[in-house]
Amino acid sequence: MSRTVNNPLADDLVRPLFRTSVWFYGAALALATVVLCGAAAWAYQIWYGIGVAGINWPVYWGFYLTNFVFWIGISHAGTLISAILRLVNARWRRPVTRCAEVITVFALMIGAMFPIIHLGKPWLFFWLAPYPSSREIWPNFRSPLVWDFFAINTYLTGSLLFLLLPMIPDFALVRDRATGWRKHFYGALALGWQGTTKQWHRLEAGMQIMAIAIIPVAVSVHTIVSFDFSMAHVPMWHSTIFGPYFVAGAIFSGIAALIIAMAVLRRMLKLEAYLHPVHFDNLAKLLLLMSLLWGYFVFSERLTVWYGNSPSEMAVFWATQRGQYAPLYWTMVVCNFVLPLVILSFRALRTIGGAVVASLGVLLGMWLERFLIIIPGLAHKELSYSWGSYSPRPPELAIMAATFAAMALLYMLFSKFVPIISIWEMKVGNQPHPPAPDTTEHEDEMAELWRARP
Amino acid sequence: MAHRWGMVVDLDRCTGCEACVTACHAENNIPTAGPQEAARGRAMHWLRVERYWEGDFPDVKVKFRPVLCQQCDNAPCEAVCPTYAAHQTDEGLNAQVYNRCIGTRYCANACMYNVRFFNFFNPQWDKPLHLQLNPDVSVREVGVMEKCTFCVQRIKAGKQTAKAEGRELHDGDIQPACAQSCPSGAIIFGDLNDHESRAARLAHSPRGTKLLEDLGAEPKVTYLQRQPWHESDGQ
Amino acid sequence: MTALYALYDDPHAVQRAVDGLRAAGLADADIVVMSSEPFEEYEFSHRDSANWLRWIAGFGGVTGLGVAYWLTSYTQQAWPLVTSGMPIVSPWPNLIVIFEMTMLGAILATVVTLLITAKLPSRLPRLYDPEVTNGYILVGVQQPAADLTPTLTAALERAGEGRIRTID
Repeated sequence: MSRTVNNPLADDLVRPLFRTSVWFYGAALALATVVLCGAAAWAYQIWYGIGVAGINWPVYWGFYLTNFVFWIGISHAGTLISAILRLVNARWRRPVTRCAEVITVFALMIGAMFPIIHLGKPWLFFWLAPYPSSREIWPNFRSPLVWDFFAINTYLTGSLLFLLLPMIPDFALVRDRATGWRKHFYGALALGWQGTTKQWHRLEAGMQIMAIAIIPVAVSVHTIVSFDFSMAHVPMWHSTIFGPYFVAGAIFSGIAALIIAMAVLRRMLKLEAYLHPVHFDNLAKLLLLMSLLWGYFVFSERLTVWYGNSPSEMAVFWATQRGQYAPLYWTMVVCNFVLPLVILSFRALRTIGGAVVASLGVLLGMWLERFLIIIPGLAHKELSYSWGSYSPRPPELAIMAATFAAMALLYMLFSKFVPIISIWEMKVGNQPHPPAPDTTEHEDEMAELWRARP
Repeated sequence: MAHRWGMVVDLDRCTGCEACVTACHAENNIPTAGPQEAARGRAMHWLRVERYWEGDFPDVKVKFRPVLCQQCDNAPCEAVCPTYAAHQTDEGLNAQVYNRCIGTRYCANACMYNVRFFNFFNPQWDKPLHLQLNPDVSVREVGVMEKCTFCVQRIKAGKQTAKAEGRELHDGDIQPACAQSCPSGAIIFGDLNDHESRAARLAHSPRGTKLLEDLGAEPKVTYLQRQPWHESDGQ
Repeated sequence: MTALYALYDDPHAVQRAVDGLRAAGLADADIVVMSSEPFEEYEFSHRDSANWLRWIAGFGGVTGLGVAYWLTSYTQQAWPLVTSGMPIVSPWPNLIVIFEMTMLGAILATVVTLLITAKLPSRLPRLYDPEVTNGYILVGVQQPAADLTPTLTAALERAGEGRIRTID
């Protein structure tokens, strides 16, 4: 009885590509509307000047940078799950890897928009690229923003390839089942894949190398994003802990986003047979671990500041702890630490629903954390005469809403054109094992040697 | 020897009249923000007079400090600019190249003195105020950072005049708008490499301090502290 | 292009087929095995492994390192601008850009080599049967010698339950 043929796996996972419900069109339309509103807000901002946003003197970075760091942080989901679990050969990663890698690619694309959106002259964003320009000047490689350019582009390239390469065998599968325009479309995407042993070896070797390469890149990306802050002499920015702190926070928010995406997929695409409660349970345990790690970093940072009692840093410290930012600060602590600890520590509460609730809280808490790192520091720099405040204006809110809608829309469209669970990787997980090597001949020899002789 | 432009601000003489602020606006084509935008924190005063109140009524004391770009030797704003819009010149000035600025505003965040200002909109001057613009200074467009340049246009003009007249620059030939307009002569500008100049001599005054000196930016503006004789009751 | 192949649904049968074809005198390089998933645990998969790919990745990384080193130090010297009192060629910040381009070089070298050696994308007509993506494993030979064909067919039939097809 073969287990490789005619199982419902391929049928289930390919069905969304061939059948679309009315709900899909309705949701896509709604999300596209929100995205268009955001695009209109951005056009308005370019036309009238960036002054239509809420930034001012001295808080020159506001919502746009918050969202930038937030989305780049979310993009760390795919790497952790895909690359690290692939390297340690964790079997439960198989249905989860592509969902996670898709989040990474789209979150990076969305996050990388924000450095362009927040520029005073966004039409000149390409000056960050190192090209031989007619002005004969190159970018300043000492600037953390140029480091951002290199890091994010490297990570985006790596993640995109890491996502696309294992999709090739699945495209071949869809090509073989499709007719009409789909056959041509997926045929082109499959690049003529046959599935010979040579091709499989190349693919797997390539994936292994890329998994090893993409992990330091991911760590470096969010470290470099943290350098945008820690390289400046702003109170509570100029901290050596920012690199690891941001990376841990990024993985934290990434896992939360992944749990939510998987829960939605499971419900919408009826993938209950493939995304089991144990997958959510494992991810929920990771989320709990990252929550504890986040708490450890925040405690370390704040204890050091409080103990050192430097006046300029304490101004920022009290502003977040007791002053005008206190409501946001304590909401963040509850969402990032208390809520996950309570929900995810007890098996009875660590259900799929519980994991989703905790994850939604974590996403809110991590967004607030980015906000509370950026704005209070800028609002309370060394010279108290120049303290200020910040509140967002409609263009910033519209663009922010548009990015969330864009993420959902891109994810939905992806799941409509590509199997969201990697079919060939699932098949490998279900393979029958080869028989033990044949030892009967050897046993005869040994029996002869040890035969009792008269 | 190359010039090294520096400034000394005598806090003993400063009355907080803000003539320097007005003169700077006029000289450098700084746009006015208007009441609504100023309330949103968009006012652009390259040179501002900071006022600090000490004590409670009736024993209130007020202290003035004109704060402008300190033209730091180790300016934190320069390295973070991705397009080299902020860099150090040979004469020690912190140059802001408007054409290279794409408006990331990182320099403004890195500056601990908060002396960098951003053009949130395209500046507009209602007629006939546009006739008042200084032709020696460019008008910046939206999205560009700007700050005090030590009136680099006057420095250049002074050097060109001296060269045309075939002589060396004398101390006092170059006066930025703020120094020129201060009624009490609190702002002194000069070449720190010219040891005879007033600025160089006063920079070594025992009253001299630098703003946020311990942060290591090495500012070139020296503030001369007020003397205790002002604390008495006028006797 | 002519071909002779069989479609099996059981990897054990595939192993027997491959052994049978080898016994019939075919070299490993002439035996084609196609599947919709890799069968790493089976012996028939063990040829064509690509351990040398990591050397290519390393070479790509070194290339990226060299390019980044040149890019940063050359451009910093071409327009020597003093910023924040840092040296004209600043090693510590340059290290970050060098690291990123090293990794990018390794990744791109790996992917390009992967695509080229797997012959993707391909335009030429090649041996393929859509039943492969239904889960069947194809074992066969392209351009079989006419005198060898009956032996090969017998070997494929002996291996197990499978459908034998030819392309003429």
